[in-house]
Amino acid sequence: MIEFVVSHYNYWAYVGLMVIGFYAMMAKKNLIKKIIGMNIFQSAIILFYISTSVKRGGVTVPILEHAHGGHGAHHAVDIMQYANPLPHVLMLTAIVVMVATLGVAVAVCILIYKRYNTLEEDEIIMSIKRG
Amino acid sequence: MIAQIPILIVVIPLISSLFCPLIGLWRRGLCYLWAIFALSLCALASVNTLFAVIANGTIHYRLGGWAPPFGIEYVVDHLNAMMLVIVSVISLIVALYSKRTVEQELPGRVVYFYTVFLLQVTGFLGIVITGDLFNLYVFLEIGSLAGYALIAIGEDGAPLATFRYIVMGTIGACFYLLGIGYIYISTGSLNMADVQQLLPQLYDSRVILTAIAFLLAGLAVKMALFPVHVWLPDAYTKAPSATSALIAPLMTKISLYVMIRVLFTVFKPHLSIELLPITDIMVWAGFVAILGGGIMALAQTDFKRMLCYVVVAEVGYIVGGVGLANTIAIKGAVLHILNDAVMTVGLFTVAGIIMYKTKSHDISDFHGLFKKMPFTMFAFVVGALSIIGVPPTCGFFSKWYLIQGAVIAEHWAFLIALLLSSLISVVLFFRVIEIGYVFQASHGGSTHTTGHAAIIDEAPLSMLIPTIAIALGIILIGVYNQAILSNIIAFAVPKL
Amino acid sequence: MGAGLIYGTLDMPKWGDPHSPASTHVSPYYLHHGLEHTATPNVVTSVLADYRGYDTLGETTVIFTAGMACILLLRRGRSREEKRHD
Repeated sequence: MIEFVVSHYNYWAYVGLMVIGFYAMMAKKNLIKKIIGMNIFQSAIILFYISTSVKRGGVTVPILEHAHGGHGAHHAVDIMQYANPLPHVLMLTAIVVMVATLGVAVAVCILIYKRYNTLEEDEIIMSIKRG
Repeated sequence: MIAQIPILIVVIPLISSLFCPLIGLWRRGLCYLWAIFALSLCALASVNTLFAVIANGTIHYRLGGWAPPFGIEYVVDHLNAMMLVIVSVISLIVALYSKRTVEQELPGRVVYFYTVFLLQVTGFLGIVITGDLFNLYVFLEIGSLAGYALIAIGEDGAPLATFRYIVMGTIGACFYLLGIGYIYISTGSLNMADVQQLLPQLYDSRVILTAIAFLLAGLAVKMALFPVHVWLPDAYTKAPSATSALIAPLMTKISLYVMIRVLFTVFKPHLSIELLPITDIMVWAGFVAILGGGIMALAQTDFKRMLCYVVVAEVGYIVGGVGLANTIAIKGAVLHILNDAVMTVGLFTVAGIIMYKTKSHDISDFHGLFKKMPFTMFAFVVGALSIIGVPPTCGFFSKWYLIQGAVIAEHWAFLIALLLSSLISVVLFFRVIEIGYVFQASHGGSTHTTGHAAIIDEAPLSMLIPTIAIALGIILIGVYNQAILSNIIAFAVPKL
Repeated sequence: MGAGLIYGTLDMPKWGDPHSPASTHVSPYYLHHGLEHTATPNVVTSVLADYRGYDTLGETTVIFTAGMACILLLRRGRSREEKRHD
């Protein structure tokens, strides 16, 4: 049982982060807090992916040693020594997407602020109802 | 060159959107023509691809020459090819239509509007054509970001509607990403065909179960399935006319296409239908969506908002049709994807013309429109008849196949929902037609008492011709639906 | 939602397992052949720019789209300002 917890606790930690971010997105009234929640949620997903790329037993980053100068092709590559490169690649793209969404969301917030002079959702809805 | 067509379909709008701001710096009026040029090339390429797939079978295109699963692969089969043609032809028609509305509603932003328009089309095409799960996520985000910008520049209240759409849309995309993550962790691959091969030995794993749940939940948010549809009415009503004509038909249908891909290509039909009760849940979800959408539509006084709820109901048809899980129902659902895209674009273009002329999209402002804008109203009536389901418009045939599928599956609740929604649509549209036709006498005023023919104040030709073309298309697709079914859709549907 | 996610993690491979499917299916190909195909010791770069280069193009397009979206949203129509100056 303990071994099960120890071997899976990384996943649970990131699920916890995701739930925090999701709660912030749904329950908070301030628009900027919603954006921060969205950011936490996406960062937690990215960390979740990356945590799957490590291997036990002293792994290094996936940069092949003895590779410069064209000699590297002759050395056998021991895959147990290098971390899995694919999640890193996917998450580089996901980070970029996260930042781009953050940018567009903040631009929309600027538009909302110019029009309603507030960033609290319930105040905005009240000022729309007042017409 | 011909062999590179699959990638050209996506790359042409992408590169042309890069050049669009430069052309706009030189001469602003050229952006419209540049967008039309790029989209026409793209539409030609996708029609060519459709005929190639009909003649030769599935096309596999490897990006960079790397064999899958180590590289990314484009797989174009019949379902894909049909979706490509739908997306590119509708974008071309909306781009042709958009010139006057953009100048009226968005002065000074014409250049960047067409840039983001082309990027939006790139995103949609990239989603439809790819055979790799993560690549789909990247293009989904391109399409979503472009959509947020296009919607937020609309009328008063659009930014808040867009903000709600951003939050919900990002949740949907992130759930999709989580689903892919779970699949990757258990299979190690991201290519759709590869995952299909690796999955069968893992069917009783809880990871896969969670993966399906999150994938479908994310897609449900994007396709506006009934409980999570709340972003759709506000966003599409407040958006500018050209934007809603582009995004309203396409975004939800593309998410429905991805759902069909995930259910039947990535997870084989055996899992989706027999091992897990997904399809039963889907039929009930469709039932709720059809009735919910219909009832909410009845309560609306704003024409565009009413159309948005009609879109929600149509999504219910397709989800329920796929859920019925027999061949005729799925054929009807796929045909309905085509039909609904065309009907929705027809009705939203009509709404845009009315907005252009009368500066309003409230139903009570429709007085006398039948006399003033006969051609537009003709297009409207064709679209309305198609949603109600009257032959020979295309809506009748897809509803007929769905009804047959419901009878074969003996799912009486869904059958009742289908018939009820036709009745609700009759009430909805005849209310609008009545206001446009009957009440003109009291508001016509001086133009009618003089006795000669009423002044016809029609929309400009650049907006009118695409709208009439779509209306004729609705009738033509209905007449030729057997040909479409037997040549394209029969191969797109999995063997059950 | 958290409960659903945790339920899904119960069957996942252990943290750091070198024999998990994620590490043994596609990745060894990149590690073994990356150097001879791309002459780059950094495997992450070779996957990002070569094997999955199309995703990188998509990522660049995402940034471009976000930039154009911000311009579309935030830039005032110039025609209005010109009319004011006239």
